[in-house]
Amino acid sequence: MSHLPVLILVVYFAAALLLPLLAKLKKSFPGWGALAVTSLALLLSIASALYVGENGPYSYFPGGHGGPGIEITVDWVTVLMHLTINLVGVLILVYSLGDLKSELHPDSLPAYYSIYLVMLAALNGLVMAGDLFNLYIFIEICTIAACALVAIKPGKLCLEAGLKYMFLSTLGSGMILLGIGLVYMVTGELNMGALSEAIPLAFSSYPWNIYVAMSLFIVGFGIKSALFPLHVWLPDAHASAAAPSSAIHSGLIIKVFIIVVARLIFQIFGANLFAAIPAPEVILLLSTIGIFAGSVLAIAQTDIKRMLAYSTIAQISYIFMGFALAVPSGIMGGLLHIVNHGIMKSMLFLAAGAIIYKTGIRKIDELRGIGFRMPLTMSIFSIGALSMVGIPGFSGFISKYYLAFGALEAGKPIYVAVILASSLLNAIYYLPIVVRAFLGHKEGKFVWDQLPWPMATAMVIMAAFNLLFGILPGSLLRLVELAATALLS
Amino acid sequence: MFDKLLANLHFLAAMLLFIIGFYTMLTDSNLIKKVIGLNIMDTGIFLFFISLGYSGGPAGGEANPLPSALMYGGLAAAVSLTAFGLAMIVRLYKYYGTIDADEIMSKRGEAE
Amino acid sequence: MSDIVLQTVIRFLAPFMQVYGLYLILWGHNSPGGAFAGGAIIAVSFLLGLLIPGPQSRFLAWRQTVQWLAALGGMAFLTLGVAGILQGTAFLTNFLGQGQRLFSAGLIPLLAASMGLLVFAAVFSLVAQLLKEYKNV
Repeated sequence: MSHLPVLILVVYFAAALLLPLLAKLKKSFPGWGALAVTSLALLLSIASALYVGENGPYSYFPGGHGGPGIEITVDWVTVLMHLTINLVGVLILVYSLGDLKSELHPDSLPAYYSIYLVMLAALNGLVMAGDLFNLYIFIEICTIAACALVAIKPGKLCLEAGLKYMFLSTLGSGMILLGIGLVYMVTGELNMGALSEAIPLAFSSYPWNIYVAMSLFIVGFGIKSALFPLHVWLPDAHASAAAPSSAIHSGLIIKVFIIVVARLIFQIFGANLFAAIPAPEVILLLSTIGIFAGSVLAIAQTDIKRMLAYSTIAQISYIFMGFALAVPSGIMGGLLHIVNHGIMKSMLFLAAGAIIYKTGIRKIDELRGIGFRMPLTMSIFSIGALSMVGIPGFSGFISKYYLAFGALEAGKPIYVAVILASSLLNAIYYLPIVVRAFLGHKEGKFVWDQLPWPMATAMVIMAAFNLLFGILPGSLLRLVELAATALLS
Repeated sequence: MFDKLLANLHFLAAMLLFIIGFYTMLTDSNLIKKVIGLNIMDTGIFLFFISLGYSGGPAGGEANPLPSALMYGGLAAAVSLTAFGLAMIVRLYKYYGTIDADEIMSKRGEAE
Repeated sequence: MSDIVLQTVIRFLAPFMQVYGLYLILWGHNSPGGAFAGGAIIAVSFLLGLLIPGPQSRFLAWRQTVQWLAALGGMAFLTLGVAGILQGTAFLTNFLGQGQRLFSAGLIPLLAASMGLLVFAAVFSLVAQLLKEYKNV
């Protein structure tokens, strides 16, 4: 039973290899096959969560030798992220069964599902990597798959966005690899458990290696997860991609890189070393600027997907702020926002994709009165928008509450003001869409939007999870608290 | 100080390659040169890592194989990224007729 | 005239490249080499013929069927790994042990062979597809 996390990876990779070939036998197979595989992976991650609940966190060594080496760490952070990744992955896949035929060339559909499965495998592997070698391999797989998911849509905008993303992301990977090299140079270890003991020794003789390595990690992962000045690839990539690709990019991929850098900094370098170079202050400053810059730029946008992309930059800055505060409530807020924003932003991107699918409208000005033609989609969009602003009763409120609590606990109450002010800015660009959609017409009769059932089902389930985590967040809070304790120890 | 520089010449060369590749990737406007810069940057990192496994020649015993193994995976990633980037550049050339990033941006500006 | 020179050279060179590639794959655990380098070299030995108009161009038509080899290589790798799980220890354990007669390193050359097949199929189909599009343009 302890093999379950590795089995998730095996299942994803095996399906990704076989899907394009089985698609030649039966044309409609790839989508349903991918759905079956992703549901199986979700069941495996739930079983793994129950196993960790009974037996506690453990380390798994492929190769069977039991000593330090290539390691797979399964602790509460891993369990939380596995559940989030596989759940959101399943729901986005269900949506894509109805939507992709209109966006992609029909010959590239099997390839899309194959890349999607490899992407989910890489995300799952990233959160359970226990040594730097494993980590780097999964980072590279994730980079290539993410870039392919953007560039697979026909058209020159997607191609340019994918190319820009690839160049910047490779810069980040190069910096991360150099950081790994600098750490390996002074400690001689790659295993994260062994590194956490060897770094204080190495720090006393070679401090500059450790400082430079930590900075390279923060900048390298910051490029991949769109920390404020390094976010320039994000609006193009997320706005021009196909709807499921935008959803999985904004919802999952960026967040997993934040989890990885948080794990590296808190578990290998230690929170004391993190505070020695003034990294928390720098990250807090950058995230504050990012929150305001992202929100202000989002207000100025006219294309709905570009506005959602700039909003993602602001929300990512919230998560960075939560982690940089380095107190348990702040980290809980960051982890909660990862889960909640994963569901919320995916829901918003899928709703925007549904609007584009049904009516072809991308500009916000033309969305007047659309609530009467597509009531289900716009109500789901409204649930997502209210949750992003932080209205109590929706899941966004819980994560912002914990972030504010963390700011108070760290003794920096100015960040509570930052959170409140930015929630107001969120309202400025989200609420006009909701208001204009429903109250824009003089008289309106509701016409049921006829979407293909996969799209409607996926969005409704996501909205249900949003409301569930907003009204009854108890079990999620317990899981997140265990994960935050595991991250800080 | 000069002998310390000579003793660490391989690290110096690796960092030089890294910086040259990094700068090329960021600033050169020709897209193919950006891909070449990617390869030069990765070559610099490979040199850095593999020289970590050096043990001092035939008298020093066996070399450490671990950095070479790590770079093995990195090499596969670099090859895949190069192939992917070049395929995308080929398609971009079919759309725009040029592979210069500045010209592509100006053509995009005219079209919008 | 240059075509005939190139074709003859490639016809001579290809078997040597393939043997060298096989050597790199099978001895990858003891000396520099391994699946990626060996697979790429074997793929290049086929791809060189595609660049010249001539009898070697018939390999272009194989670029779709070669993907089945990729799936075979990948599935073999995963199956060998899962066999370690079924045996009870962990993923990818070396259950054949060391000290066999032909494969003295146990599982590792088999894994390398399957990965070499995967890399060969991937590189071949990738470059062949790009060449096909180039020739059609």
